[in-house]
Amino acid sequence: MAHLDIRQLQVGYGDKTILHGINLQVQKGEMIALLGPSGCGKTTLLNAICGFVPTQSGEVHIAGHEITQLPAERRNITMVFQSYALWPHMSVAQNISYGLKVRKIPKAQAHKRVLDLLSIVNLEGFENEKVTNLSGGQRQRVALARALAVEPDVLVLDEPLSNLDAKVRLSVRHELKALQKKLGFTSLIVTHDQEEALVMADRVAVLNQGRIEQLGTPEDIYQQPETPFVADFMGADNCIIYKTSEPNVQLHLPNRSTAQTFALYFRSSATQVQAFSNSKNEAGLTLSGLVEQTAFLGQQYRHTVRSGEQVLQADSRECWPIASQVSLFVPPQALHVFDLATHETSNAFQSNLRG
Amino acid sequence: MRASTSNLLLIGPAALMVVALFLYPLFFSLVSAFTQDDLSFTLDHFVKVFELYSNDIKFTIIIVLSSVVLLAILSIGIAATLTLSPFPKLVAVLALLYRLPLFIPFIVAAQMMRTFLAKNGLMNNTLVAMGVMTPFETISLLGWSGIIITFVWKQLAFSTLLISGAMAALNRDQIQAAQNLGASRLRILVDVILPQVMPTIGVALVLSTVTIMSVLSVPLMIGTGSPTMITADIAFRVNSYGDYPVANALGMVSYLICAGLAWFYLRQSLKDKGALS
Repeated sequence: MAHLDIRQLQVGYGDKTILHGINLQVQKGEMIALLGPSGCGKTTLLNAICGFVPTQSGEVHIAGHEITQLPAERRNITMVFQSYALWPHMSVAQNISYGLKVRKIPKAQAHKRVLDLLSIVNLEGFENEKVTNLSGGQRQRVALARALAVEPDVLVLDEPLSNLDAKVRLSVRHELKALQKKLGFTSLIVTHDQEEALVMADRVAVLNQGRIEQLGTPEDIYQQPETPFVADFMGADNCIIYKTSEPNVQLHLPNRSTAQTFALYFRSSATQVQAFSNSKNEAGLTLSGLVEQTAFLGQQYRHTVRSGEQVLQADSRECWPIASQVSLFVPPQALHVFDLATHETSNAFQSNLRG
Repeated sequence: MRASTSNLLLIGPAALMVVALFLYPLFFSLVSAFTQDDLSFTLDHFVKVFELYSNDIKFTIIIVLSSVVLLAILSIGIAATLTLSPFPKLVAVLALLYRLPLFIPFIVAAQMMRTFLAKNGLMNNTLVAMGVMTPFETISLLGWSGIIITFVWKQLAFSTLLISGAMAALNRDQIQAAQNLGASRLRILVDVILPQVMPTIGVALVLSTVTIMSVLSVPLMIGTGSPTMITADIAFRVNSYGDYPVANALGMVSYLICAGLAWFYLRQSLKDKGALS
């Protein structure tokens, strides 16, 4: 049975419904990332699990007990906040031991636990430091220690890394993942950074407009997106609508008829830039177009290529001159094909068409 | 050198205003309190103050301290309800109501309290009509308790405004963090909120003290005449006798009471800072 079991959860403010019937089962010791654009409801979902916002309907169970109506202070779910939310008038040790003090754990025992936690998060010797003297990365580790001190049933992390600068973010991300593996706490992490979600989570739930679009392992989400939205959000942000083969757009898919209208999503990194040619019948998508712009990304150049009405991005180690005519080729395994009759196209796609 | 000259010129106009409108009158009243007509030094005025008005001084100190203590308790209570209450409707009503006294002048508040607190005033009439007490049991609250009630009622809006503002400025996450570690609302107030808004509470109470010390209408309208507050005595000395030296000596005593409270507050806030570092 799932450790954290969310059933048909509906949450809203006033007349506005934010979450529509969320179902999510989290196993003990599992880390699930809630991934989505801002406003998709991922933070609201965390707040509802913590008990900070009331639910309209649905149930939340932890280890078989229903907690839907319990107030936040009786749930034993702790949160790590984007803003750290440390109390500036308390020392590092006072911050970490606060939950223990509230639970009336004897002082000596609480002190020992604080020292243990400080060594777990690599902050030995900081117990008497003022939290305002710490750097962002250190503060977030104190916040993590504070949240873990009470041994919560579920740890929820609300964009814990997004206030940190790029380098610190990578190291804290690594530490967090290592800790989670070592201590085996059950956790939900909210992020809008797809890389963060893929690296840290055992499973990823992609949220869109208050619904879970897809739930799966990082590999599944990345390689087999089930909807155009997931494909687009996971970085396959080139999109074309395919109706019939035209001279500059040719599609050959093995085992699939190409007589329908498709939306095709693919990554710029999976797109090969080749010298313009008329060679045909290679399986995959072949497009021809003019290079409009190039940008140096370090490992490769990103080319903006206009093909008819559509503007596409393609990466290549070689820098093709502007205004040169090229062919773009996407192999079939890198194409995410959605039948337009059964899938709505995402907003991102529509904006691409307009652009 | 040149920079300091131009700096002096820049602050000049402001400094001149402070000197002319505050320091000069202060100095003048100091001199007048400590000298006879021929400008020779004397403590006679203070001797007179303590002979005639030591009861009033005690009365004033008791009124100020009780009002400030009640103010602290009530305004923290209201501000905490506004910040922590899980009932948004209650918060909306309370947020509207507590502000009303801000817009009512002291003299109007005093007049309202007279009709409310008197022996046959609105409060007692209501209690009698409700059958809680008989007309023979009613007592007038005019006097020291009435003065305290009026001051607290009027200043409550101001100090709650300051304190609830400081509480609202705290990051909401800090409260939620304490909540999901298992802290009740009362604990959150004591452990997380109060330590951080202490400086604002101090400011609200010191400013309220100064206001209470300077209001004339309330002791005149609600007080029973004797003992009364220092402001009433000063007015009496000036209006009835034209006795400025004793009035100024009384003024010095009020300065000292305010300064005493301000010192207590400053010492406390410095101690808190010292303890943190």
